[in-house]
Amino acid sequence: MNPLRRFGQLSSAFRVPLMVMLLMTAVSIVLSERVLTRLSQNQEAYLEGLAGSYLDGIAASVSPSVLRQDSWEVFDVLLRMKPQRAAIQPRETVITDANDIILASDKPDAHPTLERMDAEFQMEFSEGRMRLDTVSQLAFMARSINHNEEVIGKAYVVFDASYLLNERREVLLTLLLTNALLTMLLVAIGFFVVRRMVLPMQILEIHLQKAASGGLEPISDSEFPGAGGEAKRIFGAFNHLVKSEKGREELVDRLTKEERMASLGRIASGMAHEINNPLGGLLNAADTLEKHGHREKVRFETIDLIKRGLLGIRDVVQAALVTYRPERSSRMFTTKDLEDVALLLKPELTSRTQELIISSSPSICSFDGLPAGPMRQAIMNLVLNASNASPHGADIVLCVNQSKDAIYLEVRDAGEGLPGAVGEILTAPIKSGIPDGMTGLGLWVVRQIADELGATLSVKPNNPNGTIIEIVIPRRPLEVIHAAA
Amino acid sequence: MPSSNREKFKSRRAFNLYLATLVLAPGNVLSQTQNSTTIRFGLTPVFLNDDVQLLLVIKNYLEIATGYTIELTTRRTYQEITSLLVSGQLDAAWICGYPFVKFENELEILAVPEWNGKPLYQSYLITKFDREASRLSDLRGDIHAFSDPDSNSGYLVTTALLQENGLSADTFFKKTLFTYSHRNVIRAVASGLVQSGSVDGYVWEVMREIDPGLVAGTKIVKKSDWFGFPPIAVIKRFGQTQQANALKRALLSSSETEAGRAMLDYLRLTGFVDANPTLFDSVKRNIDRLGGLL
Repeated sequence: MNPLRRFGQLSSAFRVPLMVMLLMTAVSIVLSERVLTRLSQNQEAYLEGLAGSYLDGIAASVSPSVLRQDSWEVFDVLLRMKPQRAAIQPRETVITDANDIILASDKPDAHPTLERMDAEFQMEFSEGRMRLDTVSQLAFMARSINHNEEVIGKAYVVFDASYLLNERREVLLTLLLTNALLTMLLVAIGFFVVRRMVLPMQILEIHLQKAASGGLEPISDSEFPGAGGEAKRIFGAFNHLVKSEKGREELVDRLTKEERMASLGRIASGMAHEINNPLGGLLNAADTLEKHGHREKVRFETIDLIKRGLLGIRDVVQAALVTYRPERSSRMFTTKDLEDVALLLKPELTSRTQELIISSSPSICSFDGLPAGPMRQAIMNLVLNASNASPHGADIVLCVNQSKDAIYLEVRDAGEGLPGAVGEILTAPIKSGIPDGMTGLGLWVVRQIADELGATLSVKPNNPNGTIIEIVIPRRPLEVIHAAA
Repeated sequence: MPSSNREKFKSRRAFNLYLATLVLAPGNVLSQTQNSTTIRFGLTPVFLNDDVQLLLVIKNYLEIATGYTIELTTRRTYQEITSLLVSGQLDAAWICGYPFVKFENELEILAVPEWNGKPLYQSYLITKFDREASRLSDLRGDIHAFSDPDSNSGYLVTTALLQENGLSADTFFKKTLFTYSHRNVIRAVASGLVQSGSVDGYVWEVMREIDPGLVAGTKIVKKSDWFGFPPIAVIKRFGQTQQANALKRALLSSSETEAGRAMLDYLRLTGFVDANPTLFDSVKRNIDRLGGLL
């Protein structure tokens, strides 16, 4: 893996201290480099100054002897002028005449008297400047010997620069060691300080991640005993948020239960109405049987009437069972469920002199195993919502269509349109809370079911007025749908 | 210049020295000295004239032994000391046999040191210790170090030897140079600055004792015949003065007193003797041999 990506994936508790460490190391390297460069420059200038002084002295002292070509005098001067205790020691000094013939050297065996100067040795010297060879730890410098502005010879000196170079090495080692120790110390301090600084954020991050996966919990004092100041305020705010959210969840639960109870009341009322009508007929039929049961024709007709009445009651009871006790029925959604919905909602709609018009494509024969319970619940909630929104006497239209990729359900009403906040319950990318002022949870439950089925909801205006709410349910493998159910 | 005087100066160098003497010597120098309580004593670089301790030892002994204040004078070259002596600016001087012979008409011997019991010494031809050289001919083409142009052992002997063999220093050696001290000849040879040198045998032997590290860098190629040891000389006019007599007595009796023995020990000498000028006949022969070449 790319080291940068790996670094990016590290926790901030490690990443930030590591960055501090890298920064301090970089600063340390830059500082060390600058100090050493400056030291080298100073040392070389110092060395050049010393060498220049030595050469000036040599040149002035040997000048008369060079003029007389007196090798002994030159040699004697070289030996007498050799410094015994100095920062730099001349290792070799060679004096030549103007024709590069050696007059004398303090190392006559290496530079024989009256021989021509060795060209290779001469190459070591740069004109006018000192040259420092850090490998051999030698410095080379040459100077002309003048008399009456005429060059009469030249002095070549090789200095032992090991003292200065050793000093430079010692400074380098000391610097590196000190910087390394200081950097390590500061890095360690920085690491722990920054780590402690980012720890509250890390704790907060863990709790937020838990909250995202449904485990919203407050931050206890035991998790960060030393929390104070800013961290304490952040944790306090988070805990306050958690408390509010939990209260909100409890409220939603309570509202959901109340909604179910209200819905149950309405359905029970409708059922009572549905059962009450045939019951009246059944009682009449019972009276008829009692009075005219001996007449075969009347008996058969009455019994048939009783049967139809009882079947009607059975249908109503079964529809209620499938809708409100879905766990007892894991069957799949069919077109029959549309009729059940119509049957169940009929009393509610009738009370508002409304009618549910179901427009279903005749070719639909399969809903790909969609679960009947959630589908019926969602359709009922949408139709009830449409009924509530529409004026008395309006028609509610339920359209069911399909394509090879999806099943489309549309509920159209003739109301004044869905309020924006309520519409967001259905269409917002992330399921939001229940908006203030909302009287029921019907649409919130629809969104929940849609999410479980992987369906998308859309809201658009109905012509000439009202709202169309559409559910697009993508076709999926059966097992996925069963899992959602 | 009269012809008798012309003969007296056996070389151009001696003549020049004579001229210098005339310039440097005021007429009343001697008369002042004769009444003085000071003896002006000159030292040539025959030995370690740059050794301060040695100068103190000599001064100390001579002052005790003569009763006079000794004023020591050293110079870089033999010629300077000889000029001062001949011109009367020095009362006595330890000079080499060669300038003594050159100015034997003006000078007389006060005393001659004895080395190993004899007032004699040799000249050595030396070279570097690790060099394959055992005779004069092996030194051909060398850069050669002489001590002083007025030194018998450090110049005259080798020059005369070459002359004897039909050679000359200018052609036999690649180059010659003067170090103006026997000790410096040894240093020049030992260091490799020159390949060979002519040195006083007495100085070489004594240096071998007191600075064996330096002398170990050299070896003897050839020893010369024996010559009269460099004498303590005075100008003849001074020779009969009380100071001269006191100085002579002090030198001749130096082995008899502790301070004298201390001086002799320092110099590695056995004593001083009264000697005849014929002691330097061998030097004179070499001068004669070289004739006008000097």
